[in-house]
Amino acid sequence: MSAVGAKGDGTGTMGTVTSPGLARVVSLPRGRRGAELIMLAFAIGVVLFAYASVGLGLNGHVPTGLATYGVLFALLMLAAHLAIRKLAPWADPLLLPLAAVLNGLGLVMIYRLQEAGRNGNPGNPISTMSASTTTFQLIWSTIGVIAFVAVLVVLREPRMLQRYTYTLGAIGLVLVALPALLPSSISAVPGTGAKIQVAVGGFSIQPAEFGKLALAVFFAGYLVAKRDVLALAGRHVLGIALPRARDMGPVLIAWAASLLVLIFESDIGTSAVFFGMFLIMLYVATQRTSWLLIGTSLFLAGAFLASQLVGHVSLRFGIWLHPFTYANVFCGAANVHVPCVPSYQLAQGMYGLGFGGILGTGLGHGQPYLTPLVQSDFIITAFGEELGLTGLMALLLIYGLIVERGLRAAVAVRDPFAKLLAGGLSFVIALQVFVIVGGVTQLIPLTGITTPFLSQGGSSLVASWMIIAVLMRISDTARRPAPQPIQDEGMTQVVRAI
Amino acid sequence: MNHALRRVALACLAMFLLLLVNANYVQGFEAGKLADYPGNGRTFAQQYQYQRGSIITADNQPVAQSRHVSGVYSFQRHYPAGPTYAPVTGYDTPYNKTGIEQAEDKLLEGTDPRLAVRNLIDLITGKPRKGATVQLTVNSAAQKAAYQALQATGRPGGAVAIDPSTGAILALASYPSFNPNKLATLNGKELNKADKKYLNSPQQPLLNRAINETFPPGSTFKIVTSSAAFSSGKYNPDSRYYAPTNLKLPGTTNQLINFDNSACNDGSNPAGTGTVPLIYAFTVSCNTVFGGLGMKLGGSVLRQQANAFGMNTELRIPLKVSPSKYPPVSDRAFTAYSAIGQYNDTVTPLQEAMFSAAIANRGTLMRPYLVQKVIAPNLTPLVTTQPSELSHTVSRTVAAQMARMMADVVAQPFGTAHSMVANLGGITVAGKTGTAQNGANNTGLDDAVFTGFAPVANPRIAVGVVVKGGGLGADASAPVAAEIIKAYINYLNSSAKR
Repeated sequence: MSAVGAKGDGTGTMGTVTSPGLARVVSLPRGRRGAELIMLAFAIGVVLFAYASVGLGLNGHVPTGLATYGVLFALLMLAAHLAIRKLAPWADPLLLPLAAVLNGLGLVMIYRLQEAGRNGNPGNPISTMSASTTTFQLIWSTIGVIAFVAVLVVLREPRMLQRYTYTLGAIGLVLVALPALLPSSISAVPGTGAKIQVAVGGFSIQPAEFGKLALAVFFAGYLVAKRDVLALAGRHVLGIALPRARDMGPVLIAWAASLLVLIFESDIGTSAVFFGMFLIMLYVATQRTSWLLIGTSLFLAGAFLASQLVGHVSLRFGIWLHPFTYANVFCGAANVHVPCVPSYQLAQGMYGLGFGGILGTGLGHGQPYLTPLVQSDFIITAFGEELGLTGLMALLLIYGLIVERGLRAAVAVRDPFAKLLAGGLSFVIALQVFVIVGGVTQLIPLTGITTPFLSQGGSSLVASWMIIAVLMRISDTARRPAPQPIQDEGMTQVVRAI
Repeated sequence: MNHALRRVALACLAMFLLLLVNANYVQGFEAGKLADYPGNGRTFAQQYQYQRGSIITADNQPVAQSRHVSGVYSFQRHYPAGPTYAPVTGYDTPYNKTGIEQAEDKLLEGTDPRLAVRNLIDLITGKPRKGATVQLTVNSAAQKAAYQALQATGRPGGAVAIDPSTGAILALASYPSFNPNKLATLNGKELNKADKKYLNSPQQPLLNRAINETFPPGSTFKIVTSSAAFSSGKYNPDSRYYAPTNLKLPGTTNQLINFDNSACNDGSNPAGTGTVPLIYAFTVSCNTVFGGLGMKLGGSVLRQQANAFGMNTELRIPLKVSPSKYPPVSDRAFTAYSAIGQYNDTVTPLQEAMFSAAIANRGTLMRPYLVQKVIAPNLTPLVTTQPSELSHTVSRTVAAQMARMMADVVAQPFGTAHSMVANLGGITVAGKTGTAQNGANNTGLDDAVFTGFAPVANPRIAVGVVVKGGGLGADASAPVAAEIIKAYINYLNSSAKR
């Protein structure tokens, strides 16, 4: 597997590179694909166990689909693992098992929610889920893994992407802006009022999820090219290095674009995540705190402006501040006439978390179906209810580990473009988790956004797998041993001559 | 750029820490508060996570049990004998409880402080919390007979049987009754349907007629009038008293008449102008004799005697009993009416049983009670009810005189309750019938009342029965009493043989 590993079979006269006087033991980083496989097996085990547990919790039987789903999921993950062995042998071994356990648990929870009120199980059926939702989610997982492998196949070097900086920028903008340009009948998500999807004939994708990836590449390419100008020009005011007015352009454009997304798509979450990603990449590229300050001020000003212009935003604040007021929980009910903000969903999610407590009710024993749209934005509350604080913290730590491994790849890789891209993508995962988990646990005002890997829906899942692929490619680049100098050949011959 | 990336990593760490701390706060510290907020449907389910204690009869027949079911609610309440015991057990819905389910709720639920130490031990040893078992004083044979006999009359009514020497309630039945299983359903829609049906039914099946509806006592009140007369020391059963066919009432043109306007004639009073012995007047239930006697004794003496029998007293057995009333009366004409139970004095079937119980227990009225003992989940008795004296009604001598008169009511061929002898299978009964006129201008159907005890020589059971609109006490109520007495005495005999 590695040069160090080959040391063990040095029984004959050939093949050893360790000879006295030539102490050039090349301690190369190992790919650790074996460790990845073991962790992957563990991840698959956790998922299968959880899946069986759902059936036992609901009606006392192991689900009939355990073999089918289990084998398909395991094969899928093994395929991803084999692809990594072939395509990115030096990549971080932790990322695939982490993504696998999240995707798998997401599938399990979607299955559990789909079963509520069906087949004689307790609860009410969730109207926005059908009996085949899990199958569709498994199909999306397959597409996700295919996309993951495809990224690894196509993207042999992170630098390749730099060539398409502006092309991807344009694509990204189109993807993000598309729902706003389409009629509401195609782009509005039922029950949320957000215009963020393209739905044709029962099949829908959220283009912004892929736009996120394209824009990250664009930001990285653009900032790598311009970072010297953005970092160095300007003057110092009160100890803070301010940029020149004409260098403010890109920041202002990104800010305006995110505000437009907010206003025309009523999607605060996506808007905040995009702008946050841009700001952090700008900061990493220039290392200037002033950009953070300027960006944050702009964002707050924009949010204030939007709260005055768009009713949606002030509504979210009202819900955040008073989710448990009776009138708010039952806002719109026949006997509630006072002015109110509809907090039913947030309140139900919080009740679920409280009901789960420290250890949770156990899979299949809670009532997560009481929370509207629990399978998408609020899926984390379903985990909090049935797996408890313990399970919720475990999930958060898994996300934290993904972010940490991504940032580690960013620190390790030499190419500034790849560095910036890995940093931006890792941060965007962290920010997305913060926005949605913080939102449903009442830490910050709730803004609808998908929970990476867990939420029902294909676009987010596929995009998340693609982000993991890019991060693994970058970490593969960073950990790949430098090509051996040509003299090594000669040395080996010298050894052999002895 | 690595410097900035490390700061980004710190920012991500901070975000995840915030999420973790917040999740701990919500699920660890705020969970209790969340459970109490309005509209929290999950809290309902909580009370069904533990096994509620059973309610069993004195002869160990289960009448309320919690059975394990799969799903959100782990346990469901089941009432094996439904309507028969409904007035005793009450019902247990997620929203409210009645009967013993309510009165002993904390013990059944297992949250009573007296169970705290055991709960703590269970918590440490990892056993789930369990409720205590409540053992009733009710005898299943007597209860079944009471319900079936009431049901056979087809009219609304109540019946209560007491062990005169302890006050233990042997039977407490009401008809029409309800099926508590229908209200214990965990299906909200079914519960609403059953609840609406019972609440809107003109038959008022939820009303506990044995203790919560009062009826005019009619002639059974002559027990009180006679007791007061004998206690004065001026009369005994053989004292002769003026027995007119029509008794002129002072201050009114109304006249008090006997049943069917007949004379009160034991052979010595054919003209209806002379006197008869009080025992004869009691046996055939002459209104004119006791009307006159009541006026002579005065309203306050009658009220005092009525109070001694437990009227005008709030009782908890531990179900709340509607007080039987004998309001103060000063008008002499009304006193005459009240002395024969036809003014505004009203009694519950329980009070009827208490009249006989006091006489049967030689004048000492024991406090009626329904709960024999409470047994902790580990089978050690937690609470055992000690019989206690409620009041001293009459002296032993007067009690013996009353018993002699009541025995004649059944034993003498001319006694009003002689017809029941045929049904008794050799058991001697002492009692008093009542036929209470009812409604405006007495146009309603007469309420049939019976009170009595058996066996006469060694009383083991005292009963009180009211059948609304049943007509003659001897026709409708005495047969019900006979069934209860027979069932209980037979039960005693057969268990003594065993």
